[in-house]
Amino acid sequence: MNCPRLKSWFLERYNFDEIRDLAKQKLVPIHKYEIWYLTGGITLFLFIIQFITGMVLSFYYIPYFEHAHKSIIEIVTKLNMGWFFRSLHHWGAQIAIVVLFIHVWSCLLLKAYRKPREFLWFSGFILLGISIFFGLSGYLLLWDERAFAAVRVATGGAGNLPVVGEFIKAFLRGGIDVTGDTLTRFYAFHVSVLPLVTILLIGFHILLVQYHGMSVPLSVKKEECKETPFFPNLLYKDLIIWLVVLGIVVTLATLVPPEIGKKADPLAPAPENIKPEWYFLFLFQTLKLFPGEILGMNGETIAILLITAGILFFFLIPFFDRKSQRGEKSTLFTWIGVIYFLYFVIMTVIGFVS
Amino acid sequence: MKIDFSLVTRRTFLNTLFGGWLVAFMGGSLYGLLKFAFPTLGKEPDFVILKPDDFLNIPANSVKPFAWGGKLGLFFKHSNGNTTALKGVCTHMECNIAYIPQDKKFYCACHKGWFDENGKNIEGPPPKPLEIFDVTIEGDKLIVAKKGIKVELPKA
Amino acid sequence: MKRMLTALIGMFISAADVFAQQDKIDVFPAVPYDRFIVYQNLIIFWAGIIGLIVIIKMKLREIERTQKLGIDKEEKDIPVLD
Repeated sequence: MNCPRLKSWFLERYNFDEIRDLAKQKLVPIHKYEIWYLTGGITLFLFIIQFITGMVLSFYYIPYFEHAHKSIIEIVTKLNMGWFFRSLHHWGAQIAIVVLFIHVWSCLLLKAYRKPREFLWFSGFILLGISIFFGLSGYLLLWDERAFAAVRVATGGAGNLPVVGEFIKAFLRGGIDVTGDTLTRFYAFHVSVLPLVTILLIGFHILLVQYHGMSVPLSVKKEECKETPFFPNLLYKDLIIWLVVLGIVVTLATLVPPEIGKKADPLAPAPENIKPEWYFLFLFQTLKLFPGEILGMNGETIAILLITAGILFFFLIPFFDRKSQRGEKSTLFTWIGVIYFLYFVIMTVIGFVS
Repeated sequence: MKIDFSLVTRRTFLNTLFGGWLVAFMGGSLYGLLKFAFPTLGKEPDFVILKPDDFLNIPANSVKPFAWGGKLGLFFKHSNGNTTALKGVCTHMECNIAYIPQDKKFYCACHKGWFDENGKNIEGPPPKPLEIFDVTIEGDKLIVAKKGIKVELPKA
Repeated sequence: MKRMLTALIGMFISAADVFAQQDKIDVFPAVPYDRFIVYQNLIIFWAGIIGLIVIIKMKLREIERTQKLGIDKEEKDIPVLD
């Protein structure tokens, strides 16, 4: 569209040429691992879909425990394409978490956390925790039997953490047990607290990526890499993969809409075979591995301590991996990354089938 | 007739194609989104069904409110015993009206508009009379309908 | 417009059905007419996406061609016609 007068109106006030030159300078290295560069963008795209579908759904959802379940049924049955947008929000969340895990593990295995990108790793880790909490808080909003029991188990599990466990449990639940107060609290998290924190952190995360540029894996010789401009070459590639992902999410949303169970009754016994959402399965499977008592100490506490240690190690990996800090190949930590990945996948699968 | 050069550049062609397709795609998606975001509920009903016992025995020269969709409906018994129903919404700026039994008039507090007991606007800003409904009794149902609507009850 | 209305009526029917039975809630239009509309829309949607991807690939090919020839940069301080 060629509107010279409109363009010159803006150019007389803002120096777009400078911005354009700056943008054209952003270059991305080409090598055999470049496909993993796209994972961050896909995660961002899916989160944007979640924000949009979430915003329209919040026009109709009622966050009071008496009406929550019914409001969802009304959305699904009475509103124009309500079932579709709820389904889209559900599948968007599932795929977003899958892609997020892919993004995290690709960064771990390609060692994108090494110097100077430590803060990218830390902010990313916090974003991972936030995304999982997004999933948990969103799931409770269903207020059906499965969601209720699953959140009881999840918050109860958090309560087993040493020292801070009881505080965290009380904070999350808004009381001793999962009640209507928990629903209100989780709604507040899901709709205002977490989105604001996420936007700030993602902004910070992306800013750092612009500052540092894209990390090149250690096995690739950086000097020999050719580079392509981000605008427009990689932007087009990003758009193509985003469109494919959109198609996949919409197809899943259309063909496999999520069910909704009976309304939750706090006094009813837990339904058969209750399981938390799939991204928690590896944690609970791990808990099941430990016997009730080991050497006179509570087996579950030991399990929780080991899990906490594992997660802390994961968080602080840039400091533990000395070799990659110096820019040397660090096969030990590649293996550690592979073990983390395999453990997660195997435990999730076992949790699923058992 | 074949021409030696193209009438548009490759760049213009590609950009137009891209822009056009993108607008169509986003427009379609946005249409679906907006259809969901904007409520279609909120139309007024054609008729409502009430319980006769609740309404027929009210004292003369009084009103009893009922729900007309999301708006106020008033079941009105005149002082001579005749019953009508009307929409309790002022024709000026849609405030709810009240019945003043002493004056036998309907009063709208928002801009001090007055209607007589037949709903005609007699004083103040209201431009039109109140909307009067048709009242019929079918068996054990009291049916209040918009004037002119043929009520067909579903076979329960 | 007519389709949307018929779809809405179908949904009302299934909603009424829900409150009659109370056990399984339809999360997908049950009436076959509505189902086929949904599937058709899905296919149209995919056609739109694939069309967009093809066009973007064409643009990508074009920009790479010009970049290879080195003719993609605008000349600085070029005299403007007006």
